[in-house]
Amino acid sequence: MLAWSILRCTALAGLVLVGTMSMTSVAVAGPDELILRQAGQEVRLPIAALRDQADESFTLYDPFEAEDVAMRGVSFRDFLVEHFGEVPEALAFEAWDEYRVTLDGWDDPDWILVTHQNGEPLTLRDRGPLRLVERDYGDRDLENLRAFNDWIWMIRSIEAVP
Amino acid sequence: MPRPWRRHAGWLWLSLMSFTTLLILITYETRWVYPEIHAYFSQTGNLTGQQLATRSRGYLQEGLGVLLEAPDDEAAREQAAFRLDLAYSLFDIGLYRREYACTESSLSSLETLSNRLSGGDVLTSAELNRHLLGPIGCLTEIEMDQLDRRSAVTSAFVEDTRRHQGVVLGGSLVIFLMGLVFWWMHERQRRHAERATRESLRWMGRALRDPLTGVGNRSALHEDVLAQTGQTMSLMLIDIDYFKQYNDTLGHPDGDQLLRRLALLIDESLAGQARLYRMGGDEFAALLPCHDSCGLARRCEEITERLREAAIAHPGHPENRYVTLSIGAACFIAGEAGFTAGYAAADRALYSVKEHGRNGWEASEGEAALANRVDESQA
Repeated sequence: MLAWSILRCTALAGLVLVGTMSMTSVAVAGPDELILRQAGQEVRLPIAALRDQADESFTLYDPFEAEDVAMRGVSFRDFLVEHFGEVPEALAFEAWDEYRVTLDGWDDPDWILVTHQNGEPLTLRDRGPLRLVERDYGDRDLENLRAFNDWIWMIRSIEAVP
Repeated sequence: MPRPWRRHAGWLWLSLMSFTTLLILITYETRWVYPEIHAYFSQTGNLTGQQLATRSRGYLQEGLGVLLEAPDDEAAREQAAFRLDLAYSLFDIGLYRREYACTESSLSSLETLSNRLSGGDVLTSAELNRHLLGPIGCLTEIEMDQLDRRSAVTSAFVEDTRRHQGVVLGGSLVIFLMGLVFWWMHERQRRHAERATRESLRWMGRALRDPLTGVGNRSALHEDVLAQTGQTMSLMLIDIDYFKQYNDTLGHPDGDQLLRRLALLIDESLAGQARLYRMGGDEFAALLPCHDSCGLARRCEEITERLREAAIAHPGHPENRYVTLSIGAACFIAGEAGFTAGYAAADRALYSVKEHGRNGWEASEGEAALANRVDESQA
């Protein structure tokens, strides 16, 4: 009962607070494009085109879904070579949920830029439209989601970091 | 025979291995264990740094805020639907579905709400509350439970870490002490070996010394000659005339005293350039380097002259009032064979002096032989 009371109070407080929130940080909807940035240049790729190119299919146990999932996508290393001319030293990612991270070590055929899940195109609700996963994640503990922090969801833009 | 350093290398290696192990252990603990802690407990800079449930609730509240602000605005409804989709994606996690019963119904409620917004429906505050109160409550419950779990994991980790640190500290201390003990053993063995070496050298020195006069003995002469192999040397054999009668007349203590005094006198006569040896009861030998010319005659003369000046009384001397010497000398090339020949030549010269009434010298330098006999009138 106490826990439920706390929940109600928290929820109601949230309702009151958000009613007065500013709307200036609202992002524009429409995750149908991927933005690529390199050396000040910006290219917009239609997500639909990427879905058409998806030629890598595999099934793996997705620790976030907690079940086996059939995935389809493109080799991320090939994708980088095609669009950046090489595999950049590091990449800065921006996601639709405003998550930002810079990571290196992408010259690895294990990484797949996933566009489909169980035969359906990824949407925002499926943590799409693009998601980076490792086809082979070795013997990592599947119950420890922190071991999969490198998996990036809802990718909105990718920037080559020199 | 193993070399001394090899004998204590065992302890030294054990000691070095102990300290190296300690260093590796400390390096491992600092370089590899800390990143593991960071990966598990860091709250920032990674995908799951902040709870997915917390982020999902944030988007729900933002979407709700947008709808409450402008419920009739088409753009606001689109923005709210976008936030609800983000909230849904962060909420739709296998772990939440499996562990929290409220997840399925909450996701269903969100889906319904999102569909109505997409369909252009204008929702009242009461409808929004009905659709969102459940998911927000569910997310809060998940957050609280996840925080409890994280606290439990943290406590267990801290306890494990404390135990681990205790083990590491104890292990480090043991390894450190083992290193010290091994080092101490090594040092102790090294000092013992040093002491043994010094003792051996001292005994070797004693074995080559005449204890009465402090000069070398016959073995020392042999070793010194061999050490100068190939060099031209000269050997003087010096015999005290009628030493037995000296002892018989004055007693052995005085005889010993005479031997010490003569050793000193001969050494001084040769200006410290010769090495002196006692070959037997009343016989000394002097070994000198020979450069251009040995000058043996001059050296023999110096000894007899110094002895004459010393005028040491010899009451038992049948032919003189003072102590006299018979000296035979010869040059030779140092080495096993050369020494034998040189010794024989010097001995022949000495015998010749004795045959001619003692108290004199004879030196054989190459083919030349010089001799001097002290005239009876000089006595």
